[in-house]
Amino acid sequence: MKKILNNPADYVDEMLDGMTAAHPQIYAQPVRRVITRAAGAKKGKVGIVTGGGSGHLPVFTGYVGTGLLDACAIGDVFASPSAEQMAEAIRLADGGAGVLRLYGNYGGDVMNFDMAGEMAEMEHDIRTTTVLLTDDVVSAPKEEAEKRRGVAGMVYAFKIAGAAAERGDDLDEVTRIAQKTADACRSIGMALTPCTIPQAGKPTFEIGETEMEMGMGIHGEPGIWRDAIKPADEIAEEMLDRLMADQPLAKGDRISILVNSLGATPAEELYILYRHAKQKLDALGVEIVMPLVGRYATSMEMTGATITVIKLDDELEGLLKAPAECAFWRV
Amino acid sequence: MIDSKAISEALKGIASHTAAASDELCAADGALGDGDLGITVSKGFAEAATAELPDDVGMALLEVAKAFQRVSSSSYGTLLATGFMAAAKREKGKPGIELEEIPGLVAAARDAMMARGKGNLGDKTVLDSLDAVASALEGTSPQVMVETTIKAAEHTVERYRDLPNKLGRARMFGEKSVGLPDPGQLAFLRIVEGLRSEAHQG
Repeated sequence: MKKILNNPADYVDEMLDGMTAAHPQIYAQPVRRVITRAAGAKKGKVGIVTGGGSGHLPVFTGYVGTGLLDACAIGDVFASPSAEQMAEAIRLADGGAGVLRLYGNYGGDVMNFDMAGEMAEMEHDIRTTTVLLTDDVVSAPKEEAEKRRGVAGMVYAFKIAGAAAERGDDLDEVTRIAQKTADACRSIGMALTPCTIPQAGKPTFEIGETEMEMGMGIHGEPGIWRDAIKPADEIAEEMLDRLMADQPLAKGDRISILVNSLGATPAEELYILYRHAKQKLDALGVEIVMPLVGRYATSMEMTGATITVIKLDDELEGLLKAPAECAFWRV
Repeated sequence: MIDSKAISEALKGIASHTAAASDELCAADGALGDGDLGITVSKGFAEAATAELPDDVGMALLEVAKAFQRVSSSSYGTLLATGFMAAAKREKGKPGIELEEIPGLVAAARDAMMARGKGNLGDKTVLDSLDAVASALEGTSPQVMVETTIKAAEHTVERYRDLPNKLGRARMFGEKSVGLPDPGQLAFLRIVEGLRSEAHQG
Protein backbone atom coordinates (compact mmCIF):
# COMPACT_ATOMS: atom_id res chain seq x y z
CA MET A 1 0.00 0.00 0.00
CA LYS A 2 1.32 3.39 -0.99
CA LYS A 3 -0.78 6.24 0.37
CA ILE A 4 -0.40 9.67 1.90
CA LEU A 5 -1.47 9.01 5.47
CA ASN A 6 -0.34 8.92 9.07
CA ASN A 7 -1.93 6.10 11.04
CA PRO A 8 -4.48 4.18 8.90
CA ALA A 9 -6.85 4.24 11.91
CA ASP A 10 -6.86 8.07 11.77
CA TYR A 11 -7.53 8.27 8.03
CA VAL A 12 -11.19 9.30 8.23
CA ASP A 13 -10.97 11.69 11.17
CA GLU A 14 -7.92 13.49 9.78
CA MET A 15 -9.61 13.75 6.39
CA LEU A 16 -12.72 15.35 7.96
CA ASP A 17 -10.58 17.68 10.07
CA GLY A 18 -8.74 18.81 6.95
CA MET A 19 -11.89 19.22 4.91
CA THR A 20 -13.64 21.38 7.49
CA ALA A 21 -10.45 23.38 8.09
CA ALA A 22 -10.06 24.03 4.36
CA HIS A 23 -13.68 25.13 3.85
CA PRO A 24 -14.87 26.61 7.16
CA GLN A 25 -17.43 28.79 5.35
CA ILE A 26 -19.16 25.63 4.06
CA TYR A 27 -18.64 22.77 6.51
CA ALA A 28 -18.68 22.30 10.28
CA GLN A 29 -18.20 19.17 12.40
CA PRO A 30 -20.21 19.82 15.57
CA VAL A 31 -20.06 16.15 16.56
CA ARG A 32 -17.34 13.69 15.60
CA ARG A 33 -18.05 12.20 12.17
CA VAL A 34 -21.09 14.38 11.52
CA ILE A 35 -20.64 17.17 8.97
CA THR A 36 -23.22 19.99 8.80
CA ARG A 37 -23.51 23.29 7.00
CA ALA A 38 -21.28 25.90 8.63
CA ALA A 39 -24.31 27.96 9.66
CA GLY A 40 -26.22 24.93 10.99
CA ALA A 41 -29.84 24.03 10.30
CA LYS A 42 -31.99 26.65 8.60
CA LYS A 43 -35.12 27.42 10.59
CA GLY A 44 -38.34 26.32 8.91
CA LYS A 45 -36.54 24.50 6.08
CA VAL A 46 -36.84 20.77 5.50
CA GLY A 47 -33.51 19.15 6.37
CA ILE A 48 -31.86 16.59 4.11
CA VAL A 49 -29.38 14.17 5.61
CA THR A 50 -27.30 11.47 4.07
CA GLY A 51 -24.75 9.05 5.38
CA GLY A 52 -22.43 6.30 4.37
CA GLY A 53 -18.86 5.18 4.39
CA SER A 54 -15.83 7.33 3.68
CA GLY A 55 -13.78 6.90 0.54
CA HIS A 56 -16.22 8.37 -1.97
CA LEU A 57 -15.59 12.10 -1.90
CA PRO A 58 -17.33 14.28 -2.92
CA VAL A 59 -20.05 11.71 -1.99
CA PHE A 60 -21.34 11.87 0.67
CA THR A 61 -19.96 14.56 2.97
CA GLY A 62 -18.86 16.89 0.21
CA TYR A 63 -22.43 17.65 -0.86
CA VAL A 64 -23.37 19.37 2.36
CA GLY A 65 -24.00 22.96 1.31
CA THR A 66 -26.53 25.54 0.15
CA GLY A 67 -29.10 24.04 -2.20
CA LEU A 68 -27.80 20.56 -1.36
CA LEU A 69 -27.59 18.63 1.92
CA ASP A 70 -27.86 19.83 5.52
CA ALA A 71 -25.89 17.12 7.31
CA CYS A 72 -24.04 13.87 6.74
CA ALA A 73 -22.97 11.04 9.03
CA ILE A 74 -19.76 9.48 7.87
CA GLY A 75 -18.37 6.04 8.69
CA ASP A 76 -15.00 4.41 8.19
CA VAL A 77 -13.86 3.73 4.65
CA PHE A 78 -16.66 1.79 2.95
CA ALA A 79 -18.37 1.15 6.32
CA SER A 80 -21.69 2.41 7.64
CA PRO A 81 -21.71 5.11 10.30
CA SER A 82 -23.44 4.13 13.53
CA ALA A 83 -27.14 4.75 14.10
CA GLU A 84 -26.21 7.22 16.83
CA GLN A 85 -24.12 9.30 14.44
CA MET A 86 -26.97 9.19 11.97
CA ALA A 87 -29.43 10.27 14.66
CA GLU A 88 -27.12 13.17 15.49
CA ALA A 89 -27.04 14.14 11.82
CA ILE A 90 -30.85 14.10 11.73
CA ARG A 91 -31.04 16.23 14.88
CA LEU A 92 -28.52 18.74 13.54
CA ALA A 93 -30.29 18.95 10.15
CA ASP A 94 -33.69 19.66 11.67
CA GLY A 95 -34.95 23.18 11.28
CA GLY A 96 -38.38 22.28 12.62
CA ALA A 97 -39.88 21.20 9.29
CA GLY A 98 -38.82 17.55 9.35
CA VAL A 99 -35.92 15.67 7.80
CA LEU A 100 -35.52 13.55 4.67
CA ARG A 101 -32.99 10.73 4.82
CA LEU A 102 -31.59 10.39 1.30
CA TYR A 103 -28.92 7.77 0.72
CA GLY A 104 -27.82 4.64 -1.11
CA ASN A 105 -29.39 1.23 -0.72
CA TYR A 106 -26.85 -0.72 1.37
CA GLY A 107 -27.94 -3.18 4.07
CA GLY A 108 -25.98 -1.74 6.98
CA ASP A 109 -26.81 1.86 6.14
CA VAL A 110 -30.52 1.06 5.82
CA MET A 111 -30.75 -0.75 9.17
CA ASN A 112 -28.81 1.94 10.98
CA PHE A 113 -30.62 4.86 9.37
CA ASP A 114 -34.01 3.33 10.16
CA MET A 115 -32.92 3.00 13.78
CA ALA A 116 -31.63 6.56 13.73
CA GLY A 117 -34.96 7.84 12.44
CA GLU A 118 -36.78 6.07 15.27
CA MET A 119 -34.36 7.50 17.82
CA ALA A 120 -34.77 11.05 16.50
CA GLU A 121 -38.52 10.65 16.53
CA MET A 122 -38.59 9.35 20.12
CA GLU A 123 -36.11 11.76 21.60
CA HIS A 124 -36.70 14.96 19.67
CA ASP A 125 -40.10 14.51 17.98
CA ILE A 126 -38.54 15.00 14.55
CA ARG A 127 -40.61 13.72 11.64
CA THR A 128 -38.46 11.86 9.10
CA THR A 129 -38.91 10.23 5.70
CA THR A 130 -36.64 8.05 3.59
CA VAL A 131 -35.73 7.85 -0.08
CA LEU A 132 -33.17 5.29 -1.19
CA LEU A 133 -31.07 5.50 -4.34
CA THR A 134 -31.13 2.27 -6.32
CA ASP A 135 -29.63 3.43 -9.60
CA ASP A 136 -27.00 0.76 -10.37
CA VAL A 137 -28.66 -1.25 -13.15
CA VAL A 138 -26.31 -4.22 -13.01
CA SER A 139 -26.66 -4.89 -9.30
CA ALA A 140 -30.10 -6.55 -9.69
CA PRO A 141 -32.46 -7.25 -12.59
CA LYS A 142 -35.22 -4.79 -13.42
CA GLU A 143 -37.88 -6.95 -11.70
CA GLU A 144 -35.95 -6.53 -8.45
CA ALA A 145 -34.99 -2.90 -9.02
CA GLU A 146 -35.65 -2.09 -5.34
CA LYS A 147 -32.65 -4.28 -4.42
CA ARG A 148 -30.19 -2.32 -6.53
CA ARG A 149 -27.24 -0.43 -5.09
CA GLY A 150 -27.14 3.33 -5.05
CA VAL A 151 -24.16 4.87 -6.82
CA ALA A 152 -23.52 8.18 -8.64
CA GLY A 153 -27.23 8.88 -9.15
CA MET A 154 -27.04 10.16 -5.59
CA VAL A 155 -25.49 13.35 -6.91
CA TYR A 156 -28.63 14.20 -8.91
CA ALA A 157 -30.86 13.30 -5.97
CA PHE A 158 -28.89 15.53 -3.57
CA LYS A 159 -29.00 18.38 -6.07
CA ILE A 160 -32.66 18.20 -7.04
CA ALA A 161 -34.12 17.41 -3.61
CA GLY A 162 -31.77 20.00 -2.12
CA ALA A 163 -33.15 22.66 -4.45
CA ALA A 164 -36.73 21.75 -3.53
CA ALA A 165 -35.94 22.02 0.20
CA GLU A 166 -34.08 25.30 -0.29
CA ARG A 167 -37.04 26.96 -2.01
CA GLY A 168 -39.23 26.03 0.97
CA ASP A 169 -41.14 22.91 -0.11
CA ASP A 170 -42.57 20.90 2.78
CA LEU A 171 -41.35 17.44 3.81
CA ASP A 172 -43.88 15.49 1.77
CA GLU A 173 -43.10 17.50 -1.34
CA VAL A 174 -39.31 17.24 -0.93
CA THR A 175 -39.73 13.50 -0.38
CA ARG A 176 -41.88 13.12 -3.50
CA ILE A 177 -39.36 15.01 -5.63
CA ALA A 178 -36.43 13.03 -4.22
CA GLN A 179 -38.23 9.77 -5.00
CA LYS A 180 -39.08 10.95 -8.50
CA THR A 181 -35.41 11.82 -9.05
CA ALA A 182 -34.22 8.48 -7.71
CA ASP A 183 -36.68 6.69 -10.01
CA ALA A 184 -35.38 8.62 -13.04
CA CYS A 185 -31.69 7.75 -12.49
CA ARG A 186 -29.80 4.84 -14.02
CA SER A 187 -26.09 4.16 -13.55
CA ILE A 188 -23.44 1.67 -14.61
CA GLY A 189 -19.75 1.41 -13.76
CA MET A 190 -16.54 0.00 -15.18
CA ALA A 191 -13.09 -0.30 -13.65
CA LEU A 192 -9.54 -0.90 -14.78
CA THR A 193 -7.88 -1.21 -11.37
CA PRO A 194 -9.04 -1.93 -7.80
CA CYS A 195 -8.62 0.35 -4.80
CA THR A 196 -6.95 -0.14 -1.45
CA ILE A 197 -8.73 0.47 1.85
CA PRO A 198 -6.18 2.02 4.25
CA GLN A 199 -6.98 -0.27 7.18
CA ALA A 200 -6.92 -3.40 5.00
CA GLY A 201 -3.75 -2.36 3.23
CA LYS A 202 -4.25 -4.49 0.11
CA PRO A 203 -6.23 -4.10 -3.14
CA THR A 204 -9.91 -5.03 -3.05
CA PHE A 205 -9.60 -7.33 -6.08
CA GLU A 206 -7.04 -8.37 -8.70
CA ILE A 207 -7.30 -7.67 -12.37
CA GLY A 208 -4.99 -8.36 -15.30
CA GLU A 209 -3.15 -5.64 -17.25
CA THR A 210 -5.35 -6.16 -20.32
CA GLU A 211 -8.68 -6.72 -18.55
CA MET A 212 -11.53 -4.48 -17.53
CA GLU A 213 -14.28 -5.05 -15.06
CA MET A 214 -17.84 -4.09 -15.96
CA GLY A 215 -20.61 -3.46 -13.49
CA MET A 216 -18.52 -2.87 -10.38
CA GLY A 217 -19.90 -0.96 -7.42
CA ILE A 218 -18.26 1.89 -5.56
CA HIS A 219 -17.02 -0.17 -2.62
CA GLY A 220 -14.38 -2.13 -4.43
CA GLU A 221 -16.80 -4.99 -4.98
CA PRO A 222 -15.70 -6.91 -8.03
CA GLY A 223 -17.78 -6.39 -11.16
CA ILE A 224 -20.47 -8.51 -12.71
CA TRP A 225 -18.39 -9.61 -15.66
CA ARG A 226 -14.85 -9.20 -16.90
CA ASP A 227 -13.76 -8.47 -20.42
CA ALA A 228 -10.65 -7.66 -22.43
CA ILE A 229 -10.12 -3.92 -22.39
CA LYS A 230 -11.76 -2.21 -25.35
CA PRO A 231 -11.47 1.18 -27.07
CA ALA A 232 -13.23 4.03 -25.24
CA ASP A 233 -16.01 4.35 -27.82
CA GLU A 234 -16.92 0.69 -27.43
CA ILE A 235 -16.93 1.02 -23.64
CA ALA A 236 -19.20 4.07 -23.80
CA GLU A 237 -21.42 2.32 -26.33
CA GLU A 238 -21.87 -0.76 -24.16
CA MET A 239 -22.51 1.25 -21.01
CA LEU A 240 -25.14 3.43 -22.68
CA ASP A 241 -26.79 0.44 -24.33
CA ARG A 242 -27.19 -1.21 -20.97
CA LEU A 243 -28.59 1.95 -19.41
CA MET A 244 -31.05 2.40 -22.26
CA ALA A 245 -32.11 -1.23 -22.15
CA ASP A 246 -33.27 -0.46 -18.61
CA GLN A 247 -34.71 2.99 -19.26
CA PRO A 248 -35.39 3.50 -22.98
CA LEU A 249 -34.63 6.91 -24.47
CA ALA A 250 -36.28 8.29 -27.60
CA LYS A 251 -36.25 11.36 -29.82
CA GLY A 252 -37.32 14.43 -27.89
CA ASP A 253 -36.34 13.09 -24.45
CA ARG A 254 -34.30 15.41 -22.27
CA ILE A 255 -31.68 13.96 -19.97
CA SER A 256 -28.69 14.94 -17.93
CA ILE A 257 -25.66 12.67 -18.03
CA LEU A 258 -22.88 12.29 -15.48
CA VAL A 259 -19.58 10.81 -16.64
CA ASN A 260 -17.86 10.24 -13.33
CA SER A 261 -14.30 9.31 -12.42
CA LEU A 262 -13.94 6.63 -9.78
CA GLY A 263 -10.94 8.49 -8.44
CA ALA A 264 -7.89 7.89 -10.60
CA THR A 265 -9.26 8.27 -14.10
CA PRO A 266 -8.27 11.69 -15.47
CA ALA A 267 -10.72 14.21 -16.87
CA GLU A 268 -9.21 13.66 -20.32
CA GLU A 269 -10.46 10.09 -20.48
CA LEU A 270 -13.87 11.08 -19.14
CA TYR A 271 -14.22 13.56 -21.99
CA ILE A 272 -13.36 10.82 -24.48
CA LEU A 273 -16.22 8.77 -23.04
CA TYR A 274 -18.52 11.80 -23.03
CA ARG A 275 -17.70 12.57 -26.67
CA HIS A 276 -19.03 9.22 -27.80
CA ALA A 277 -22.05 9.34 -25.52
CA LYS A 278 -22.98 12.77 -26.91
CA GLN A 279 -22.65 11.54 -30.52
CA LYS A 280 -24.82 8.53 -29.79
CA LEU A 281 -27.51 10.54 -27.97
CA ASP A 282 -27.48 13.24 -30.65
CA ALA A 283 -28.07 10.59 -33.29
CA LEU A 284 -31.08 9.39 -31.32
CA GLY A 285 -32.45 12.92 -31.00
CA VAL A 286 -32.04 12.94 -27.20
CA GLU A 287 -31.26 16.36 -25.74
CA ILE A 288 -28.58 16.67 -23.05
CA VAL A 289 -29.11 19.27 -20.32
CA MET A 290 -26.28 20.35 -17.98
CA PRO A 291 -23.87 17.45 -18.58
CA LEU A 292 -21.53 16.68 -15.70
CA VAL A 293 -18.04 15.36 -16.39
CA GLY A 294 -15.61 14.95 -13.53
CA ARG A 295 -15.08 13.47 -10.12
CA TYR A 296 -18.46 13.35 -8.36
CA ALA A 297 -18.67 9.91 -6.68
CA THR A 298 -15.42 8.08 -6.26
CA SER A 299 -14.02 4.87 -4.86
CA MET A 300 -10.64 5.84 -3.42
CA GLU A 301 -7.97 5.64 -6.13
CA MET A 302 -9.85 3.24 -8.38
CA THR A 303 -9.32 3.74 -12.10
CA GLY A 304 -12.57 3.60 -13.97
CA ALA A 305 -15.76 5.48 -14.64
CA THR A 306 -19.47 5.40 -14.08
CA ILE A 307 -22.13 6.81 -16.36
CA THR A 308 -25.43 8.01 -14.94
CA VAL A 309 -28.39 9.11 -17.02
CA ILE A 310 -31.36 10.93 -15.51
CA LYS A 311 -34.49 11.49 -17.54
CA LEU A 312 -35.83 15.00 -16.94
CA ASP A 313 -39.15 16.77 -17.08
CA ASP A 314 -39.70 20.49 -16.52
CA GLU A 315 -39.96 20.09 -12.75
CA LEU A 316 -36.71 18.14 -12.35
CA GLU A 317 -34.85 20.24 -14.89
CA GLY A 318 -35.72 23.49 -13.12
CA LEU A 319 -34.52 22.15 -9.80
CA LEU A 320 -31.36 20.68 -11.33
CA LYS A 321 -30.43 24.13 -12.66
CA ALA A 322 -31.21 25.99 -9.41
CA PRO A 323 -28.21 27.56 -7.62
CA ALA A 324 -26.25 25.36 -5.23
CA GLU A 325 -22.83 25.43 -3.65
CA CYS A 326 -20.48 23.08 -1.85
CA ALA A 327 -16.70 22.87 -1.87
CA PHE A 328 -16.69 20.51 -4.83
CA TRP A 329 -19.41 21.86 -7.07
CA ARG A 330 -21.14 25.15 -7.82
CA VAL A 331 -24.25 25.55 -9.97
CA MET B 1 -44.25 -3.11 38.01
CA ILE B 2 -40.76 -2.97 36.52
CA ASP B 3 -39.25 0.48 36.82
CA SER B 4 -35.98 1.87 35.45
CA LYS B 5 -34.12 0.80 38.58
CA ALA B 6 -35.30 -2.79 38.16
CA ILE B 7 -34.27 -2.71 34.49
CA SER B 8 -30.85 -1.47 35.51
CA GLU B 9 -30.48 -4.31 38.02
CA ALA B 10 -31.61 -6.87 35.46
CA LEU B 11 -29.07 -5.52 32.96
CA LYS B 12 -26.29 -6.01 35.52
CA GLY B 13 -27.29 -9.65 35.97
CA ILE B 14 -27.42 -10.21 32.22
CA ALA B 15 -24.10 -8.43 31.70
CA SER B 16 -22.29 -10.71 34.13
CA HIS B 17 -23.96 -13.86 32.82
CA THR B 18 -23.27 -13.06 29.14
CA ALA B 19 -19.68 -12.07 29.95
CA ALA B 20 -19.21 -15.55 31.42
CA ALA B 21 -20.79 -17.10 28.31
CA SER B 22 -18.80 -14.98 25.85
CA ASP B 23 -16.28 -17.64 24.83
CA GLU B 24 -18.97 -20.26 24.41
CA LEU B 25 -21.00 -17.93 22.15
CA CYS B 26 -17.97 -16.94 20.11
CA ALA B 27 -17.20 -20.61 19.53
CA ALA B 28 -20.78 -21.38 18.51
CA ASP B 29 -20.74 -18.43 16.15
CA GLY B 30 -17.31 -19.37 14.83
CA ALA B 31 -18.73 -22.67 13.59
CA LEU B 32 -21.18 -20.83 11.32
CA GLY B 33 -20.20 -17.18 11.14
CA ASP B 34 -17.41 -14.82 12.04
CA GLY B 35 -17.09 -15.82 15.66
CA ASP B 36 -17.65 -12.54 17.44
CA LEU B 37 -21.17 -12.99 18.77
CA GLY B 38 -20.10 -13.46 22.40
CA ILE B 39 -18.23 -10.17 22.23
CA THR B 40 -21.18 -8.38 20.60
CA VAL B 41 -23.61 -9.55 23.25
CA SER B 42 -21.44 -9.14 26.34
CA LYS B 43 -20.13 -5.73 25.23
CA GLY B 44 -23.67 -4.54 24.50
CA PHE B 45 -25.06 -5.54 27.89
CA ALA B 46 -21.96 -4.28 29.71
CA GLU B 47 -22.52 -0.87 28.12
CA ALA B 48 -26.25 -0.95 28.86
CA ALA B 49 -25.65 -2.00 32.49
CA THR B 50 -23.52 1.07 33.16
CA ALA B 51 -25.83 3.50 31.34
CA GLU B 52 -27.66 6.12 33.36
CA LEU B 53 -31.34 5.24 32.85
CA PRO B 54 -34.02 7.95 33.03
CA ASP B 55 -37.16 7.39 35.14
CA ASP B 56 -39.40 7.29 32.07
CA VAL B 57 -39.24 3.58 31.41
CA GLY B 58 -39.67 4.03 27.66
CA MET B 59 -36.73 6.41 27.51
CA ALA B 60 -34.79 3.94 29.70
CA LEU B 61 -35.37 1.22 27.10
CA LEU B 62 -34.28 3.67 24.41
CA GLU B 63 -31.00 4.15 26.33
CA VAL B 64 -30.51 0.38 26.28
CA ALA B 65 -31.07 0.34 22.51
CA LYS B 66 -28.60 3.16 22.10
CA ALA B 67 -26.01 1.41 24.24
CA PHE B 68 -26.15 -1.54 21.85
CA GLN B 69 -25.87 0.71 18.84
CA ARG B 70 -22.86 2.40 20.35
CA VAL B 71 -20.71 -0.61 21.03
CA SER B 72 -21.94 -3.35 18.73
CA SER B 73 -23.33 -2.35 15.39
CA SER B 74 -23.17 -5.95 14.09
CA SER B 75 -26.46 -7.31 12.80
CA TYR B 76 -27.24 -9.12 16.08
CA GLY B 77 -26.52 -5.97 18.08
CA THR B 78 -28.71 -3.94 15.76
CA LEU B 79 -31.52 -6.47 16.01
CA LEU B 80 -31.43 -6.45 19.82
CA ALA B 81 -31.43 -2.66 19.73
CA THR B 82 -34.44 -2.83 17.43
CA GLY B 83 -36.26 -5.05 19.90
CA PHE B 84 -35.55 -2.71 22.80
CA MET B 85 -36.61 0.24 20.68
CA ALA B 86 -39.95 -1.39 19.85
CA ALA B 87 -40.62 -1.86 23.54
CA ALA B 88 -39.38 1.67 24.24
CA LYS B 89 -41.97 3.17 21.89
CA ARG B 90 -44.80 1.41 23.66
CA GLU B 91 -43.63 2.43 27.12
CA LYS B 92 -42.68 6.06 26.47
CA GLY B 93 -44.06 8.34 29.16
CA LYS B 94 -44.71 5.59 31.72
CA PRO B 95 -43.03 5.17 35.13
CA GLY B 96 -42.87 1.38 34.84
CA ILE B 97 -43.83 -1.73 32.87
CA GLU B 98 -46.87 -3.63 34.14
CA LEU B 99 -46.16 -7.37 34.20
CA GLU B 100 -49.19 -8.19 32.08
CA GLU B 101 -47.74 -6.00 29.32
CA ILE B 102 -44.63 -8.15 28.96
CA PRO B 103 -45.90 -10.78 26.49
CA GLY B 104 -47.09 -7.94 24.24
CA LEU B 105 -43.72 -6.20 24.49
CA VAL B 106 -41.88 -9.37 23.52
CA ALA B 107 -44.24 -9.83 20.57
CA ALA B 108 -43.69 -6.20 19.51
CA ALA B 109 -39.93 -6.70 19.69
CA ARG B 110 -40.27 -9.86 17.60
CA ASP B 111 -42.30 -8.07 14.93
CA ALA B 112 -39.96 -5.09 14.73
CA MET B 113 -36.94 -7.38 14.50
CA MET B 114 -38.60 -9.42 11.75
CA ALA B 115 -39.26 -6.26 9.77
CA ARG B 116 -35.75 -4.91 10.23
CA GLY B 117 -33.84 -8.14 9.60
CA LYS B 118 -36.22 -9.33 6.87
CA GLY B 119 -36.38 -12.69 8.61
CA ASN B 120 -39.18 -15.21 8.97
CA LEU B 121 -40.16 -17.53 11.78
CA GLY B 122 -38.68 -20.96 11.22
CA ASP B 123 -35.45 -19.61 9.70
CA LYS B 124 -33.60 -20.78 12.83
CA THR B 125 -32.81 -17.38 14.27
CA VAL B 126 -33.34 -15.40 17.45
CA LEU B 127 -36.79 -14.52 16.07
CA ASP B 128 -37.94 -18.06 16.84
CA SER B 129 -36.80 -17.60 20.44
CA LEU B 130 -38.77 -14.39 20.84
CA ASP B 131 -41.82 -15.94 19.27
CA ALA B 132 -41.65 -18.92 21.63
CA VAL B 133 -41.23 -16.64 24.66
CA ALA B 134 -44.10 -14.38 23.62
CA SER B 135 -46.51 -17.30 23.36
CA ALA B 136 -45.23 -19.05 26.48
CA LEU B 137 -45.67 -15.89 28.57
CA GLU B 138 -49.25 -15.35 27.48
CA GLY B 139 -51.37 -15.73 30.63
CA THR B 140 -48.46 -16.79 32.88
CA SER B 141 -48.41 -15.79 36.51
CA PRO B 142 -45.75 -13.24 37.51
CA GLN B 143 -43.99 -15.70 39.82
CA VAL B 144 -42.97 -18.03 37.00
CA MET B 145 -42.30 -15.51 34.25
CA VAL B 146 -38.52 -15.72 34.37
CA GLU B 147 -38.49 -19.53 34.47
CA THR B 148 -41.07 -19.73 31.68
CA THR B 149 -38.94 -17.42 29.54
CA ILE B 150 -35.79 -19.46 30.10
CA LYS B 151 -37.61 -22.72 29.37
CA ALA B 152 -39.03 -21.37 26.12
CA ALA B 153 -35.61 -20.11 25.05
CA GLU B 154 -34.01 -23.45 25.94
CA HIS B 155 -36.68 -25.37 24.12
CA THR B 156 -36.17 -23.25 20.99
CA VAL B 157 -32.45 -24.04 20.86
CA GLU B 158 -33.17 -27.77 21.11
CA ARG B 159 -36.07 -27.71 18.69
CA TYR B 160 -34.03 -26.04 15.93
CA ARG B 161 -30.70 -27.77 16.56
CA ASP B 162 -31.37 -30.43 13.93
CA LEU B 163 -32.76 -28.06 11.31
CA PRO B 164 -30.72 -26.03 8.78
CA ASN B 165 -30.18 -22.28 9.12
CA LYS B 166 -32.13 -20.35 6.52
CA LEU B 167 -31.03 -16.77 7.09
CA GLY B 168 -27.89 -14.67 7.26
CA ARG B 169 -24.36 -15.88 7.02
CA ALA B 170 -25.18 -19.24 8.64
CA ARG B 171 -27.50 -19.98 5.70
CA MET B 172 -24.48 -20.44 3.45
CA PHE B 173 -23.45 -23.39 5.54
CA GLY B 174 -26.82 -25.02 4.89
CA GLU B 175 -26.69 -28.68 5.86
CA LYS B 176 -23.53 -28.13 7.88
CA SER B 177 -25.64 -26.15 10.35
CA VAL B 178 -27.82 -29.21 11.04
CA GLY B 179 -26.97 -30.53 14.49
CA LEU B 180 -25.49 -27.22 15.64
CA PRO B 181 -27.36 -24.84 17.91
CA ASP B 182 -28.15 -21.52 16.27
CA PRO B 183 -25.70 -19.03 17.81
CA GLY B 184 -28.33 -16.31 18.01
CA GLN B 185 -30.82 -18.55 19.79
CA LEU B 186 -28.11 -19.74 22.14
CA ALA B 187 -27.12 -16.15 22.89
CA PHE B 188 -30.75 -15.33 23.65
CA LEU B 189 -30.88 -18.24 26.08
CA ARG B 190 -27.78 -16.96 27.90
CA ILE B 191 -29.31 -13.48 28.00
CA VAL B 192 -32.55 -14.60 29.64
CA GLU B 193 -30.66 -16.88 32.03
CA GLY B 194 -29.08 -13.66 33.26
CA LEU B 195 -32.54 -12.62 34.48
CA ARG B 196 -32.54 -15.58 36.83
CA SER B 197 -29.30 -14.61 38.55
CA GLU B 198 -30.78 -11.15 39.10
CA ALA B 199 -34.13 -12.54 40.29
CA HIS B 200 -32.38 -14.71 42.88
CA GLN B 201 -30.35 -11.83 44.21
CA GLY B 202 -33.43 -9.61 44.33
